Amino acid sequence: MDKQYDIIVIGAGNGGLSAAASACKRGFRTLLIEQHNLPGGFATSFRRGRFEFEPALHELCDVGEPDSREEVGALIDSYGAEVDWVRLPEAYRLIIFGEGEDKIDAVMPFGKEAFIDKMEEYVPGSRESMEKFFYLADCIMAANAAVAAAGGNADPKVMMKEHPDFLKCANYPTAVVLRKLKMPLKAQKILAAYWCYMGVNMEDLEFGFYASLVHKYIVNAAYIPRYRSHELSVAMDKTIREHGGTILYNTLATKILMEDGAPVGVETTHGSFYARHIIADISPNAVFGDMMDGGKGLPEDHIRAVNARKIGGRGYCCYVGLNKTAEELGVHEYSYFISELSDTVKEQELAGTFREHPMQATICLSNAIPDCSPPGTCIMSFTTFFMKDIWSDVTEKEYTAKKREVAVKMIRDFEKATGTSIMPYIEEIEIASPATLARYALVPQGAMYAYSCGEGDGLMARLQMLKEDQRVKNIRFASGYGPRLYGYSSTYMGGDMAVKLTMADMKEENYEKV
Amino acid sequence: MKKFNFHVKPIGLLDMLHFKQMVPRRRAILKSGSLDPITAVYGVNRLAQSLHPRQQKAVVSEIIPRKDANTYVLKADKLAYFRAGQYVSVKLRIGDAATARPYTLAASPALALEGEYRITVKKAQDGFVSDYILENWQLGTEVTLSGPEGPFSYEPLRDEKEVVGLAGGSGITPFMAMAAAILDGTEDFRLTLLYGSRTKADILYAEELERICAATDKVKVVHVLSEEEAEGFEHGFIGAELIKKYAPETYTLYICGPRAMHDFLAGELPGLGLDQKHIRREFVPAPSSPTYFQDYPGDPAKRFTLTLRMLGEEKRIPLRADEPILTAVERAGIAAPSRCRSGECGWCRSRLIGGEVFIPASLDGRRLADDDAGYIHPCSTWALSDLELEIFPE
Repeated sequence: MDKQYDIIVIGAGNGGLSAAASACKRGFRTLLIEQHNLPGGFATSFRRGRFEFEPALHELCDVGEPDSREEVGALIDSYGAEVDWVRLPEAYRLIIFGEGEDKIDAVMPFGKEAFIDKMEEYVPGSRESMEKFFYLADCIMAANAAVAAAGGNADPKVMMKEHPDFLKCANYPTAVVLRKLKMPLKAQKILAAYWCYMGVNMEDLEFGFYASLVHKYIVNAAYIPRYRSHELSVAMDKTIREHGGTILYNTLATKILMEDGAPVGVETTHGSFYARHIIADISPNAVFGDMMDGGKGLPEDHIRAVNARKIGGRGYCCYVGLNKTAEELGVHEYSYFISELSDTVKEQELAGTFREHPMQATICLSNAIPDCSPPGTCIMSFTTFFMKDIWSDVTEKEYTAKKREVAVKMIRDFEKATGTSIMPYIEEIEIASPATLARYALVPQGAMYAYSCGEGDGLMARLQMLKEDQRVKNIRFASGYGPRLYGYSSTYMGGDMAVKLTMADMKEENYEKV
Repeated sequence: MKKFNFHVKPIGLLDMLHFKQMVPRRRAILKSGSLDPITAVYGVNRLAQSLHPRQQKAVVSEIIPRKDANTYVLKADKLAYFRAGQYVSVKLRIGDAATARPYTLAASPALALEGEYRITVKKAQDGFVSDYILENWQLGTEVTLSGPEGPFSYEPLRDEKEVVGLAGGSGITPFMAMAAAILDGTEDFRLTLLYGSRTKADILYAEELERICAATDKVKVVHVLSEEEAEGFEHGFIGAELIKKYAPETYTLYICGPRAMHDFLAGELPGLGLDQKHIRREFVPAPSSPTYFQDYPGDPAKRFTLTLRMLGEEKRIPLRADEPILTAVERAGIAAPSRCRSGECGWCRSRLIGGEVFIPASLDGRRLADDDAGYIHPCSTWALSDLELEIFPE
């Protein structure tokens, strides 16, 4: 087979699929290699009995309707990938089941006005602060668009003149800004629900990022592919091939081949392939560590920079196929966020332990896609994450019981919080722990959330440091470990961005296509 | 919303300065990392590797002869832990052919931690692979195995405390693992086993089962003989009446046996009033001929050509209408990925580029989107025309 390519993409997760599609579409000879026998990484599906489960996706923002696509929907359309998107019914139901004051049960709708109205209903007097919140979110969206239009290098003077509010609020922790807006505490708590999509508490998560995330979900609603994420991934696989790309599954990249400080190819379990430009949809830990002899020979600063990054939330999910309908069970919403406490700092701290009440982001797929499973049944999943590497200490013998123990706690909490009964109706159950993520996606520590975007390593800082973060010439990152952060929409955008940055790398050295 | 004067610090300029400090702050953090070797492999990654190795090697260390069967004791320094009821896929090269077969791990998972697996291989009709193993595996033979696979395991969150196991012939193997795991405390449930054999002499594991039943009241075995009447043994086929006779009030049914047993039970199970949740079936390997399925629309005598693409190379090989596509690939000496060989697990997932195929509904374990996108599981798919197929060798 052909050995020489313009670009080799390592990993066919969301970022890698997006990068490969973007590269092919631009006429680059592209090789996409994936160690698993499927595309998608976390964006896949699996079957048990008469159920097909969605492993990872809760809701994808920035899709939009066919005649009014948002950024990510438009990008996927532009690749020629055909996906049957399903719009989700509501934003979320947040249940805090703690004691006394710490009790909330709020169902929040999509749509800015509806969201603000609903918040006012739950928290009288919150309207003004909520309107201010969305005003700042608009400012942030406008500034992000301006930065993107300037190719990432916005003129600071123009930014100060045109986008002063963005500069004044974006880099503060979200909680600091919400307090400055005099948002009532309960409204802050309800608004904080999406924090667990990032695994960074509200006293740390930068406002510029969080506000734009809320804006994207609430203003433009969220979507999922009808046939699970696997539908999206096979649609991408198809369009990559149609645009001349080559995909190798069951092929593990083992080594980056380097010459004069730059890559010339990749060694794999099926031989070596050559390209001067690499886009990695995997972690820098793998690329600069395991695939480059632990980083031997790299400058000290580079080694320190990789080792300084903090691995984000390690994923855990329990999937159940139930032999009752959602209606029969009394499960009415698609998306639930359920936790014991409303204090996200404490929640994040406790997420570093095998705690009694793991917070959970719970999905009832059947409430978005009623025929996702046979008549008389429904599908649910219970997701949480671990903020410390505690699964590393679990032995083989303890492993199954440990997975089950967490599942029992989460299902019991869900039952208690919603007044439902789930456990007796489990017809199929599968549990993915951080070890499962490590097995299928080879991610360090079973990380679902790549490098945490907290503690100073947020989106805006990463974007401003694109140049110095590229520590080895001609290697770019499309994964959640890269500049655009984690999550489906981020990695789809990140894959395209990695190609644009690669094109800039090519221009710099007058690269000619093979 | 009208513009309002937002600031965190007393004057907005200080807020803008705060923004500007973001990069120096991160720069300082990145300088603070250690000089340890960089790696993406941590304890949990090692746990994943040891639970789910891509490949395992073991050596035949003991052969226990049985009627028309052998139990092979396989040893290695380290073998992956598993859940009682799981199987490994044994990779083989027989003559010019490359193939693999799933065999249930038939002893307690606890032994795996000491580096021991046991599998039982029974002589099968037209058993190309079982014949090979029975004739060729000797003490010291090195064998190549997959990691443990398969969902045919007890799950307390789903199953009742009481399990009724229906075993036919060599279908006893997962129940041997379960019984042994109950005995040594790895698993906690009660097992009533109805075990169908032709005659007393055909019973596999008779002594081991007797020993386990004597040692724990959590395992009970009822032997059912189809071709012999004997005192203390049930006679006939395992059906609804027999199950009702021995089953407790509430239970989960586990079934493992040959295809004929499943077919017979299909007519019996409705009489038990169990819902789907309470019936667990081990995969049944695909039959070799597609004529087994009533809706097979092809002509099994036809011979086709398979254009196979792999790793960018193209190869043309003969393809018979009356055998699964995977068999043709393997006969050509190509080690295609496979595990369960019954359409379920998806390891053999391949891209059908052109041609018509037959996929029986009962063996169609594909993902919904794969159906639309033209991916197939060649272990349980038959050709209706010349085909072009891309496979992804491991």
